Amino acid sequence: MGSFGGWAGRVLRVDLSAGRIWAEDTIERYKDYLGGTGIGYKVLWDEVPADTHPYDPTNKIVFGTGPLAGTGAPCNGRTAITTLWPTCWPKPLVASGHMGGHFAAELKYAGYDALVIEGKADSPVWLSIEDQQVEIHDARGIWGQGIRRATIEISQMLGSEAVVAAIGQAGENLVPMSVVMNSVSHSAGGIGSVMGSKNLKAIGVRGTGSLRIAGAKEEWERVVKLHLSMLGANNQHVVPDSPQPWAEYYDPGSRWKASPGRKWGAAAPAIDTGTCDPHNFNRIAYRTNNAAFYLGDVAWKYTVRGNGCTGCPIRCHTLIKVPSAAAKYGIPEMGQNTCGGLNFGRSFFRTFPDGPKGEISVEASMVGMHLADDLGLWCNYSQLQRDFQKLYYDGTIRTKVGADEFKRYSWNQYEKGDPAFLFELLPRIATKEDELGTALGLGSGYLLERWSISEEEWKRDFGLQYWKLGHPKHHANEDAGQCGVIINTQYNRDPQCHSHPNFTRNGLPIAVQKRIAAEVWGSPDAVDAVKAFTPMNPGKARMAKWALLRKELHDSLSLCNWMGPWVASPLKERGYKGDDSIESLLYGLVTGDRKSREELDLTAERIFLLHRALTIRGMGTGQMRVRHDTVPEWVFADPEGKAAFTKGTNRMDRDDIAKAMDLFYQEMGWDKVSGAPTRAAYQRVGLAHVAQELAEKGLLPG
Amino acid sequence: MDAQRMEPRALEEMLRAALQDASFSRRRFLQLGGISIIGMSVVGTRLASEAAGPALYMEQATGIVIGDPTKCVGCRRCELACTEFNDGKAAPSVARVKVARNLNFGPKGVQAGQRGQGNWGDGLVVQDLCKQCRHPVPCATACPQGAIVAKPPTNARVVDAELCIGCKFCLYACPWEMLSFDRETGKAVKCSLCDGKPKCVEACPAESLRYVSWRDLTRQIPRRASADKRSRTAAGNRSGNQKHA
Amino acid sequence: MSAEGQDASNQQGKGEEGEGLRWEAASQAAIQVIRNRSGQGQLAAEEEILEELLALGLLEEDAANLSASLAEILSTASHTHDDLRTIPNQEGNKRYYSLQFMTETYARLLLQREGDPLQLIAEIVRENSALYPRPFPLGAFERTPFTMTREEIQRCLDQMSCHQAYQDIARTITSAGNVFLYSTLHLDPDYAATLAEWTDVGQHDNP
Repeated sequence: MGSFGGWAGRVLRVDLSAGRIWAEDTIERYKDYLGGTGIGYKVLWDEVPADTHPYDPTNKIVFGTGPLAGTGAPCNGRTAITTLWPTCWPKPLVASGHMGGHFAAELKYAGYDALVIEGKADSPVWLSIEDQQVEIHDARGIWGQGIRRATIEISQMLGSEAVVAAIGQAGENLVPMSVVMNSVSHSAGGIGSVMGSKNLKAIGVRGTGSLRIAGAKEEWERVVKLHLSMLGANNQHVVPDSPQPWAEYYDPGSRWKASPGRKWGAAAPAIDTGTCDPHNFNRIAYRTNNAAFYLGDVAWKYTVRGNGCTGCPIRCHTLIKVPSAAAKYGIPEMGQNTCGGLNFGRSFFRTFPDGPKGEISVEASMVGMHLADDLGLWCNYSQLQRDFQKLYYDGTIRTKVGADEFKRYSWNQYEKGDPAFLFELLPRIATKEDELGTALGLGSGYLLERWSISEEEWKRDFGLQYWKLGHPKHHANEDAGQCGVIINTQYNRDPQCHSHPNFTRNGLPIAVQKRIAAEVWGSPDAVDAVKAFTPMNPGKARMAKWALLRKELHDSLSLCNWMGPWVASPLKERGYKGDDSIESLLYGLVTGDRKSREELDLTAERIFLLHRALTIRGMGTGQMRVRHDTVPEWVFADPEGKAAFTKGTNRMDRDDIAKAMDLFYQEMGWDKVSGAPTRAAYQRVGLAHVAQELAEKGLLPG
Repeated sequence: MDAQRMEPRALEEMLRAALQDASFSRRRFLQLGGISIIGMSVVGTRLASEAAGPALYMEQATGIVIGDPTKCVGCRRCELACTEFNDGKAAPSVARVKVARNLNFGPKGVQAGQRGQGNWGDGLVVQDLCKQCRHPVPCATACPQGAIVAKPPTNARVVDAELCIGCKFCLYACPWEMLSFDRETGKAVKCSLCDGKPKCVEACPAESLRYVSWRDLTRQIPRRASADKRSRTAAGNRSGNQKHA
Repeated sequence: MSAEGQDASNQQGKGEEGEGLRWEAASQAAIQVIRNRSGQGQLAAEEEILEELLALGLLEEDAANLSASLAEILSTASHTHDDLRTIPNQEGNKRYYSLQFMTETYARLLLQREGDPLQLIAEIVRENSALYPRPFPLGAFERTPFTMTREEIQRCLDQMSCHQAYQDIARTITSAGNVFLYSTLHLDPDYAATLAEWTDVGQHDNP
């Protein structure tokens, strides 16, 4: 085994039942799976039986980073966390969450590519990782405290530079809708209670080591700058949202929000974001303002600066300072987040007295972050809030919780859009208080079951965005027609895949998008104009495959799939093309393991197929097409009755989607009838042993 | 050894050696039992002021990197560029520009809690940068080997790796704790201004670092309180000299 | 040739050479003005270029035909520097910009902004409706680089609604209460409404 750059070289293993700590060799065991979700799926496949429950001590939770994490490769700061998923309904299956911040880099500098936790401690513990010194500590002093206190107390012990990933009361109380959070505000949804079930309060990491860059440093510098040159703003939107001198195109819906006159108003003194010519790498951080994107222009005066993950220039995680909210609600002035966090508090309310994007919406955002990011609550991509609104306004909550409990809430306040209501609601979910507190923390699938509501009702509703298995859609047909539908069938939670909307929403004219599509996916028809979807074609299947494989590749390399891939760029001189091989370039130079784009995609396919196999084994069926890869009813309808493939609707056609799945399975080399990978498909990606195990269980297509 | 006072004999011998440009070996240093951290930084501060001054003169640096904490977005790309493009590895803990140690709570460290600076406080991220001190230069003066020299064209104070014996005197001498010790090479490391084209300045995505003509910041910027020695020494000491893959 | 003749000839040669150098310098100065303006997000007018050349002493104020001289200088400049572009405004006066700092799209926008605001609004709306395609938010005209006041915008819309040339400019309102404009030449009302809703509300509801 050669010596590679990038990887730290060890996977840290901790068995909390036995109190045992040991390490594995990353390259020996996991190189073919790269890192991140790759290592996660591999550990789950090899070591965790199918019928394990998420809260069984035998469940394992894998905090995975990849060879690029902790380097200067742009957009590499995310940790993928893989485990059996508590909110996956009706049967828990394997899924992954992701968190940004600084955890991935610090773990790498400490000397580890991944951390695998198994077993269950007898009483609350926290884990310290200080370079090669790893210890399990008594956490009874911080159990019951919020994420913030836990983080600060651990930092007092490990030093200011420590990165702490902690759960709050929600995770401790085994609330399925819970998170783990690091670096103030960077959370991974869905797994907090798995840590809680292991009595693991937090992981504190301090790393002072280094990561070798295998390639010549001049070449590495050149490739990093090449990558920087192709970056857009958050979600790889490559045009600004208003006309700029340097820009040929613009898009009012773009996340590239910098322009003269728009200031980081709460910086001291204020800073004008100005014109951010894409050739100027020193101004990348000014392009994005997600607080302004979600909360509206009102947020500019509250913006202190951009923030985010280690090594990323995009700074999608906006830091805001709202003294009025602090004074009004007795909460800290500062709040920060990228997306879900900003929306957590405000999404509960139908509207606010001063409109959807006024000052009160900002207050609700602040109160939401203050509570949820300390209690460690998860929103399930805002499904919690959508379910809550629906169940309140259709009278279900009143019926199900009983009169006494119902009276304990200030519903007038809620209906008026008073953010103070969140103080009543959120802590009760974290502590599973009574019926409402308990039900809301279960996740949609178990919530519906508990309240005897058929899942079909949720699958017919346009507003709820529900897809299947207890989770919502995430960039489906509304973004990318059939391509988006295919992607949403493939996972055991919302797919967390942004490869496709990063392209379809990049703001370029449709003619330019089609030109790029022809090069990348072999046909200009792989993409449609927004809300003008056309019938299924092979190009769309290729795009779906590409999107899925690249999501796994990014989650395994440690690249941010909320920014990549980089097939488009803001550069006119490149015809707005990016470079579909940038992952291969970065990987090869950092590790010294030169793989072409195709070879790296094959590795990604291996990782994706392993996830498929885990799902098949977990479900105990190979009939994926009908049992797993389902599409909810609302996708095939339109609120105004518009027909599919007319302009102005997201509506898909049933036969066309059947054809879409056919073409997708064909593109993947899977069996069309069952939707399951064939033995040949597994063999092609080096998973013959997986195929064998499935065959022995009768789970391989005949 | 009294942590509050210099060991006079050791200091005297070291200074004499520096003045006479004589060699002061690592062995001799260890024989003398080392010198306290606080003691050395006191010496460093004194040497940075006009109070004392050995006869050897170091040419003034022509440039300096300055930072604007109100613009720093805490991405650490400066640290990464510094080590990746100079040393071929991602090693922020030996970066010559230092942001990570102030990132969470500000220069006062975790004791500032949520009322300090950094991501947990008011958001300001202070970038610690080498002052390229005017003569007498604390780190250079402390070096028993004369390994820290002014390197043309910028006259940045640079560690000559061939002369460095890894005694860490310079680390302790710098009032702002700007030098690093690279465990993998066994040498001290400090800002060289990248010969006039600082990589950190080039890498910053928020224009928060600038390369400007030299100015004396030694009396403007408070010396580092070292509130958090543990972050620099404890983990490293406990893990000994273990290397990473 | 006689010595005097040689002298005269030399003088003339030097004069010609001097003249050539001045010409070159003038061309350089002209392109610099244009690039500077473009870098500031502005077009350069002939008067501005002329002013600069006079200030530098590269043109004589009392010269016979300043306009023609300028034209020739600019012609020379555009041959030697391929980033230089010309764009005529509504009155036929030329404006100049450099592709190094400004795109044709933006130059056109600036020109439209100099001219009739109704035309500006219509052209922006039509271009967006045809190219991307998408409707354009009314509120964007209040921000850079348009910086129109709400009253100005409303006046324009009122005028446009009566003006034969702008009958294709229509409006749609999103569920968030924001007005978007589109051209019926390129988008039908229903499609425009859906696109506006997607830009204004949908993209945020589907983060």
